[in-house]
Amino acid sequence: MSKRIVVDPITRIEGHLRVEAMLDDNNRIQDAMSSGTMWRGLEVILQGRDPRDAWAFCERICGVCTTVHALASVRSVENSLGIQVPRNADIIRNIMFLTQMVQDHVVHFYHLHALDWVDVVSALKADPAKTAALAQSVSPSWPTSTPGYFSDVAATLKKFVESGQLGIFQNAYWGHPAYKLPPEANLMAVAHYLEALKWQKELVKIHTVFGGKNPHPNYLVGGMACAFNLQGDNAINMERLNLVRDKIVEAIDVVEHLYIPDLLAVASFYPEWTKIGGGLGNYMVYGDLPQNGIADVSKFRFPRGVILNKNLAEVLPLDPADPGQIQESIAHSWYQYPNNQTALHPWDGVTEPHYTGPKPPYKQLDEKGAYSWLKSPRWKGHAVEVGPLSRMLVGFASGRADFKEVVTEALGKLKVGPEALFSTLGRTAARGLETRLCVHWLLEEYEHLVANLKNGDSSVADTRHWEPSTWPVESKGYGFTEAPRGALGHWVHIKDAKIANYQIVVPSTWNASPRDAQGQHGAYESALIGTPMADAKRPIELLRTIHSFDPCLACASH
Amino acid sequence: MAATSYRPLGIHSGEPTFGRKYVWQWPVRLAHWINAASVLTLFLSGLYISNPVLAPNGEPFNHFVMGRIREIHFVAGYALLFGFLIRVYWFYAGNNYSRSGFPFVWKAAWWNDLRAQAWQYLKLERGHVHLGHNALAGLAYTVFVVGLGWIQIFTGLALYSESNPGGFWDTAVGWIIPLLGGSWRVHMWHHTCAWGFVVFAILHLYIVMFDSHQFKNGLIGSIISGYKFYEEGDLDHDRWLS
Amino acid sequence: MTSQRPQTTYDLLRKHGVDRRSFLKYCTGLAAAMGLDAALVPQVVRAMETKPRIPVIWLHGLECTCCSESFIRSSHPLAQDVILNMISLDYDDTLQAAAGDQAEEVRRRIMKDYKGGYLLAVEGNAPTKDGGVYCTIGGEAFVDILKETAADAKAVVAWGSCASHGCVQNAHPNPTGAKPVKEILTGKPIINVPGCPPIAEVMTGVLTYILTFGQLPDLDRQGRPKMFYGQRIHDKCYRRSYFDAGQFVESWDDDGARKGWCLYKMGCRGPSTYNSCSTIKWNNGVSYPIGSGHGCIGCSEAGFWDNGPFYERLSSVPVPGIQSTPDTVGKTLTVLTGVGVGAHLVSHLVQRAGVPLTGTRTPEAPAPEASEKKD
Ligand code: HEM
Ligand code: HEM
Ligand code: NFV
Ligand code: SF4
Ligand code: SF4
Ligand code: F3S
Ligand SMILES: [Mg+2]
Repeated sequence: MSKRIVVDPITRIEGHLRVEAMLDDNNRIQDAMSSGTMWRGLEVILQGRDPRDAWAFCERICGVCTTVHALASVRSVENSLGIQVPRNADIIRNIMFLTQMVQDHVVHFYHLHALDWVDVVSALKADPAKTAALAQSVSPSWPTSTPGYFSDVAATLKKFVESGQLGIFQNAYWGHPAYKLPPEANLMAVAHYLEALKWQKELVKIHTVFGGKNPHPNYLVGGMACAFNLQGDNAINMERLNLVRDKIVEAIDVVEHLYIPDLLAVASFYPEWTKIGGGLGNYMVYGDLPQNGIADVSKFRFPRGVILNKNLAEVLPLDPADPGQIQESIAHSWYQYPNNQTALHPWDGVTEPHYTGPKPPYKQLDEKGAYSWLKSPRWKGHAVEVGPLSRMLVGFASGRADFKEVVTEALGKLKVGPEALFSTLGRTAARGLETRLCVHWLLEEYEHLVANLKNGDSSVADTRHWEPSTWPVESKGYGFTEAPRGALGHWVHIKDAKIANYQIVVPSTWNASPRDAQGQHGAYESALIGTPMADAKRPIELLRTIHSFDPCLACASH
Repeated sequence: MAATSYRPLGIHSGEPTFGRKYVWQWPVRLAHWINAASVLTLFLSGLYISNPVLAPNGEPFNHFVMGRIREIHFVAGYALLFGFLIRVYWFYAGNNYSRSGFPFVWKAAWWNDLRAQAWQYLKLERGHVHLGHNALAGLAYTVFVVGLGWIQIFTGLALYSESNPGGFWDTAVGWIIPLLGGSWRVHMWHHTCAWGFVVFAILHLYIVMFDSHQFKNGLIGSIISGYKFYEEGDLDHDRWLS
Repeated sequence: MTSQRPQTTYDLLRKHGVDRRSFLKYCTGLAAAMGLDAALVPQVVRAMETKPRIPVIWLHGLECTCCSESFIRSSHPLAQDVILNMISLDYDDTLQAAAGDQAEEVRRRIMKDYKGGYLLAVEGNAPTKDGGVYCTIGGEAFVDILKETAADAKAVVAWGSCASHGCVQNAHPNPTGAKPVKEILTGKPIINVPGCPPIAEVMTGVLTYILTFGQLPDLDRQGRPKMFYGQRIHDKCYRRSYFDAGQFVESWDDDGARKGWCLYKMGCRGPSTYNSCSTIKWNNGVSYPIGSGHGCIGCSEAGFWDNGPFYERLSSVPVPGIQSTPDTVGKTLTVLTGVGVGAHLVSHLVQRAGVPLTGTRTPEAPAPEASEKKD
């Protein structure tokens, strides 16, 4: 006998996600449905517009992973029109990409995911002195790990709770048996929740320097709009560069001495979660961070490739332009394709909404019919997982030394083998580990920028193909990036200087997708299967696995 | 002037006799030339504002190219408003001719004249000379000058008001901005409508010269002197006004 | 009104260990951030001492969550100070710990317990086509949730261009029938805080103004707080001197760009955009779009998505079947007129060469003297 639970809204994510899960008698999830319950129609809205404007529309797909859609968009248009951006533009884009990655991951860990593992109310019982001792043992060089600091935080928390107005913390799952941290670890995490919130806004100033604002910094087809003038004060100069460098150095400190220690400390209390939530076992990465232009895939810091069936011995090649590789199915989605086609490559993609679900208000969706505003992208027919775990695995399996180093070090600290990575906790850990790589790469990219400027190259934009009169009558292109949540691709078809078709396939579309025509689950659904629940009414375990993917549903459905 | 003075030209009896009449009173002529001058200035300065091509070098402090052209535009804008106000006043205060351009759409005679005039222009027939405006000319002035003119004045003042939120013009005409879908849209419409004056100017100058040449009625001079010539049988202060 | 006694901001700050001196300093800073006269500081202090934390329900519709992201970037006050000390953020699906039924239960409880006393903050907007199926939460259409939650709210804050004007999903052809808050809710005070997203300190500034002075800010014609949307970017832009001088960037990364000249010719919407970017700036004053070399795209203006192309000085003429620039439309009409006039002239000349023009006047015309009013 199975019972069905519905969690809608899934909170502490971006966007509108609904999960329905079928439990067996032991409250173990037998089957699950992941449904994106919102759609805006960006692919429809983009049609007929100037391709140089597309980045701004696309960027508004998501404010949480702001930047990445703009990046994929300008790259798709540049690819279509045969534009090669100057080296500085590539470096600045890499810096902005990395900044986004770090900020997004830290915010995800502390503000979206932590409350799955950290019991805020239990923190009230913590001894500030012991908390300080714990914090010092976890991260000796973090400056605020003092008893005084933690007693202040404890007092704040106490008064907050006593005010009777619990705000975002009310009616949650405090005291749930799945919480395993001692009160001191909880208090430390609460303190760092606030600390990280205060810091993240500093890091994004890097975007503000190059893109004028954050969220939603500005991009430009052909390069970047932020000119350099080292001898002037009305463009990027030494002061601006210093601000960027300062924020990078700060970020290294926060990631090395706050995020990673906290991550490992929390993880060490939840060893059972290295065996739950593995899911598909197929991992896909487009790769990113070009060191020699976007066309030279071999020089990406994030290598490209696919791993099937957890087989780390083989990384399969991947080509986003091959119509046989990436296809989107709509068998269980609220869309229709012409001529009853079942799956299309994004260059031929069609976005035509066709709602067949129940009329709201409704209680339940039907897994046999269409049940989501997400399409189901597949690689050569395989459902694959994208995101930090995929990137770490592909980097690791490709033999990249920097990946190997951070992964083996963390596994050693947690005293687990590589198989522990194929899990909910593995996903959460991989996110932290790649953040570690990213902060150091940030500094390297900054140094590349300075070196390039030193060599006298200060150009940031190639405008030879700016005017539509220089464009071919018709062209096609694709742009990609590794967004915080995984492989992101935009495919564009330009005709008579206007967008004829624009298709977006997003990391969360891959991961949160409904079943495909073959009935294969997407990554969320697959990862949920087998998850034990202590109390079907208080779905904390379900949230843990879902949150380990860092869902973004505005992205996914767009 | 009480009665129209005829200037008998006919040597032989039966030949047409010409009259000369004071038609355009000075405020009409004054308003006309204020309008003509300001529209020309507005169009040229407006196009410059839209696409400022001069690029001075050096310290911005030393230059005020864009600023100056904008000032010229605004002064001409005020002049146009002033010209319009004179003309509106004189529409009521002036002689019947000063009202003859009004589209009397509820009068059959006006429609007949409109049809007849359009037909005559098309078929290159002579038809009647009007002492005031013929219906077609009146309609053209109403649509192109009065209509477009007020649109330009209102949208222009609305744009102008943006630099002083809460000020007089903002209070008076600021509501136009959201009405037309925001400031950027107002720029677009203001700019698009500017071209209407070019279309008008071509038609107007051509017709004025054509008419003047055809009928030898002193039309061109009339907007300077106020006097028009006509023959016996031509239409005085046109029928829809009676 | 409620079962629990809500505490004042000062109570809470005190209990959090903030002493009187830092409290006063805090109030002064807050007043300065809102652009208030120093004479008003005592009022800020009093408000912080006497006002309880007002419950806030923060709904998310069709949106990108960037307004929330912007909000948490606030530097003065810090977002956590707002959330922990000034308001009681009781429902916000992006941040709250509870999910599913437990989350929805909170929303219903606040609506009941604080009837007429809570603030409704809306991020994003509602699809209205096809019964609202393009955005549902807990199986309910967002458009219905919005109406239901607004019914007993004290006031509504429409965050961002989505909630204020419709934003990207409402751009042509608006496939979901997305409508901004003001087109869905009636009979409620609505404060529009546009921007895509709005500046963080503008968001927290609007909230703290309401809390401090116990009143809604003065709004302009479009329902925007005058204190942050009173003037155009252009009127306060540091590149304005180059605009007036006539010194413009002509193409990306050119000499003018490196000198920081005006971006007008690159399509800058600053002359038509009401926002605080050129004064308050972004991310605690670091820069703003123009400050980093890209024109303003007008992200706080109604319908700005359909005012493209962004890199043109003017939007296309939105007449179906035309869709070209005002100058193209104008030049085409001019040429057509010229051709028409030319054709007329030519046929006239041809006719004159052949047939002499003779009088064809209609005999029944009235005499010139008829009915004259005055001369
Ligand atoms: C763009 C510039 C011009 C505008 C907007 C303009 C507008 C007008 C208007 C509104 C009238 C009607 C007068 C009234 O009833 O108040 C008029 C009449 C007239 N204008 Fe102009 N005008 C322009 C340029 C000129 C020029 C350059 C000439 C001389 C060649 C001219 C010659 C005349 C004549 C002869 C009339 C009397 C026409 C008639 O009786 O129908 N106009 N014009
Ligand atoms: C025949 C009448 C007029 C014509 C042909 C005309 C033409 C133009 C044109 C072509 C522009 C450039 C629009 C753009 O590309 O953004 C412009 C801008 C403008 N016009 Fe006019 N205009 C007229 C009347 C007026 C009047 C009466 C005013 C009132 C003061 C006015 C005020 C403005 C303002 C404020 C601007 C914007 C300048 C800026 O943004 O820097 N215009 N006009
Ligand atoms: N999924 C997704 Fe994004 C990311 N990362 C986009 O590409 O979050 Ni909004
Ligand atoms: S207004 Fe802009 S930034 Fe805010 S949610 Fe809408 S799209 Fe995102
Ligand atoms: S850059 Fe934009 S806002 Fe600034 S002065 Fe130039 S046109 Fe105005
Ligand atoms: S694009 Fe938006 S951020 Fe400001 S400068 Fe323009 S209003
Ligand atoms: Mg898509």
